Amino acid sequence: MAETVIKLQLNQQQLELLDRTIARGVARDRVALVRLALREYAAARKAETKAKPNDREPVR
Amino acid sequence: MSDRRVLFEHILEPGTGKAIELLKGQILRIEQLEGGQCADFNCFNLNDYKEFMHCGRTRTVHGFHPTKGTFMWSAPPRERAMLYILEDTVGHNDVLFPRCSAYVYEASYGFSVHTNCHDIQAEAQREYGLTPDDVHDSFNLFMCTGVDQDGHAYMTRQTTKAGDYVDLLALMDVLAVPNVCGADVMRTSNFALKPLKLTVFAATDADLARVPKTPVLASQRTPKDFRNPTIKADRPLRRDPSYKSEFPNTPIRVTELPIALSPEELATFRSVKRTDIYDEDDAAALRDLLFSWWEERFLQAHAGAPSIESE
Repeated sequence: MAETVIKLQLNQQQLELLDRTIARGVARDRVALVRLALREYAAARKAETKAKPNDREPVR
Repeated sequence: MSDRRVLFEHILEPGTGKAIELLKGQILRIEQLEGGQCADFNCFNLNDYKEFMHCGRTRTVHGFHPTKGTFMWSAPPRERAMLYILEDTVGHNDVLFPRCSAYVYEASYGFSVHTNCHDIQAEAQREYGLTPDDVHDSFNLFMCTGVDQDGHAYMTRQTTKAGDYVDLLALMDVLAVPNVCGADVMRTSNFALKPLKLTVFAATDADLARVPKTPVLASQRTPKDFRNPTIKADRPLRRDPSYKSEFPNTPIRVTELPIALSPEELATFRSVKRTDIYDEDDAAALRDLLFSWWEERFLQAHAGAPSIESE
């Protein structure tokens, strides 16, 4: 199946935060960072759903 | 504690307050003599009164009830730790409520004149040339408060006893201004006005060693960093015809970052995206996910508060 392209709209401050995060070695580039965020965010929600099935808001 | 040298003692009689020069490394103890008495507290940088304790910043960092082990912060753009709460034998303090004022007692109780924290603060601060407009929101010691389910702040009675106290350690030279809360027709001080005892100690090395480290950041600005460092000396506001705005990081420029998601990634995204907020706007939902993830993974303290090295 074909990939789906989502066009993120980010301002220069948001991009700066991403780039500083990348500079820490978290991901190789902006796209990889977004993919990592998706994987880790989804994993965290899955873990929460197991722990608290009726609470959508992340536990901080 | 027993090694501390006493520098000053004063009894705060009901209806009064006292402005005290509390130098860096000195401790102000505010102590119950009979119990059941709220103390309101303001403070200013002794060398620059425009830097003052800010309850809003403090409640963001430490919550609604700062107690032992927390700081009182100054307002932006200074945002420095002014005081450290070294001891607190009760643990019920408040930064939700402002100081009570004459208006409250006139509007709700019909008093033409009544003891109130704003006016007591103003009178105490007048000794140092400050005006009633310089009184700011108070740190309310021994005051029992909360937020009800409708989002309203409430106050209730306190259970403090004679000898209970809070010790405030100055981390800079400050003008400290405690007062006996003027509320005798509210629950704040159990419907009576009682005296409080003030003691200033010289902190010991052991006291000073207990203070956690706080961040020192470029954003903690002082007048030397201001575009306009001059304190305005008259009251009317008039436009500066030479003014040209210099808002930080403007103009805000938006860049498009295309993210190609595989079918598996798209399915994952759809399983977690906040359609309740963003409906079919996948770009906004993915941006939310990205920065929500960042907060979860990298923010070290609640609500953007500075991370503080704890004891």
